[in-house]
Amino acid sequence: MNRLLISVCALMALSGIAALITWGVVGSPDRSVSCLEEALAEHHLCLETIREWPSETVLWVDARKRESWEKGGVAGSVLVNEHEDWGDMAAEFATAVFGDGEGKERVVVYCDKAGCDSSKVVADRLREEMSRDFGFEVFVLHGGIKALEQEGKENG
Amino acid sequence: MKKYLVSLLSIGALSAEMVFDTKLIELKVGVDEQTVTAEFPFEIKGEDAVIKNYDAPCSCLKAKIYPLNNDRSTKLEWKVGDAGKVIGKFNLGNFKGTVDKAIVLNFHGKQEPSKLTVRVSIPELFKIEPPTQQWNLGGGLESKTYKITVNHSEPIHILEDSGTSENFPYVIKRIRDGWEYEVVVTPTQDKTPAMGMIRFHTDSKSKRFQRSQIFAVMRTPRPAAAKTSP
Repeated sequence: MNRLLISVCALMALSGIAALITWGVVGSPDRSVSCLEEALAEHHLCLETIREWPSETVLWVDARKRESWEKGGVAGSVLVNEHEDWGDMAAEFATAVFGDGEGKERVVVYCDKAGCDSSKVVADRLREEMSRDFGFEVFVLHGGIKALEQEGKENG
Repeated sequence: MKKYLVSLLSIGALSAEMVFDTKLIELKVGVDEQTVTAEFPFEIKGEDAVIKNYDAPCSCLKAKIYPLNNDRSTKLEWKVGDAGKVIGKFNLGNFKGTVDKAIVLNFHGKQEPSKLTVRVSIPELFKIEPPTQQWNLGGGLESKTYKITVNHSEPIHILEDSGTSENFPYVIKRIRDGWEYEVVVTPTQDKTPAMGMIRFHTDSKSKRFQRSQIFAVMRTPRPAAAKTSP
């Protein structure tokens, strides 16, 4: 019994040492929002892809609650969520997406994190009611605001 | 010590066996309901289950697991034979039509999370089709029609209407007042881009259908953008 216990303790100690060495050599664990576009649902995109587009063609839509948007929404974003009057928000959105007539080609909706389905609900409704006639495509940002925050950290 | 060692070695072998009666609940809600509740009963079979975390990704849905511990905290460790239920409270907000919401449970010793889906159908009492119409620059000034249909046991009347753009004058035809309307929009010019909104206030008892709007857009036709091209 004692021998087994000693073996288990030794293994745990060795594992710990190995982990410390790995951390020292490779660095701290990668906590970034992982994104493999092929594995994502339809209309969901990685931030990397969105960053390839000219920024002036993209309108960001924040699908979180108003207080979150006001506190830390993307610059130039529009609030469209599931909680407030749809008509009022749709009017604000329409003005922003139409602009001076040239309009935005892409709308990217984000919420809190990966798996947050508020952005999907909002994106689906914008797609159903407005996208074709206004002439924009609607996407959901995988990872939500967390992906944007991570990018901000990486870029200092 | 032996007990401790057995516990230590068994953690990795724990596998969640929380078996649900169903993982999809479909609810048809009344027009004035603001919240609905869905219950997912479960039983622990085969092996014990230890919940790592659970989440309702949408902020409009709160999930709880019952019964609670004696100190009212959430019970995360479940033994074979235990039974309980996951309850999701769903705030309907401005939804309409059919919407799916999910509660996700992650377990220790199990790769795949359990996803419980609440499918809520909210009737569209005051349906406008299509909600937006578009004209092409230089493409002419043809009239286009939006159809409004009341899908309810009581009529819903348009009490007020207002347009935001003089580029898009409109006429409301009362086909069957309270039940069926047509809104005919005829743009005044097709030389410059324009966007307009027409708003309706109704006498619907449901707040959700007291205000509605349609959009009219005059713009340059644009081919669909390719999603991967910069």
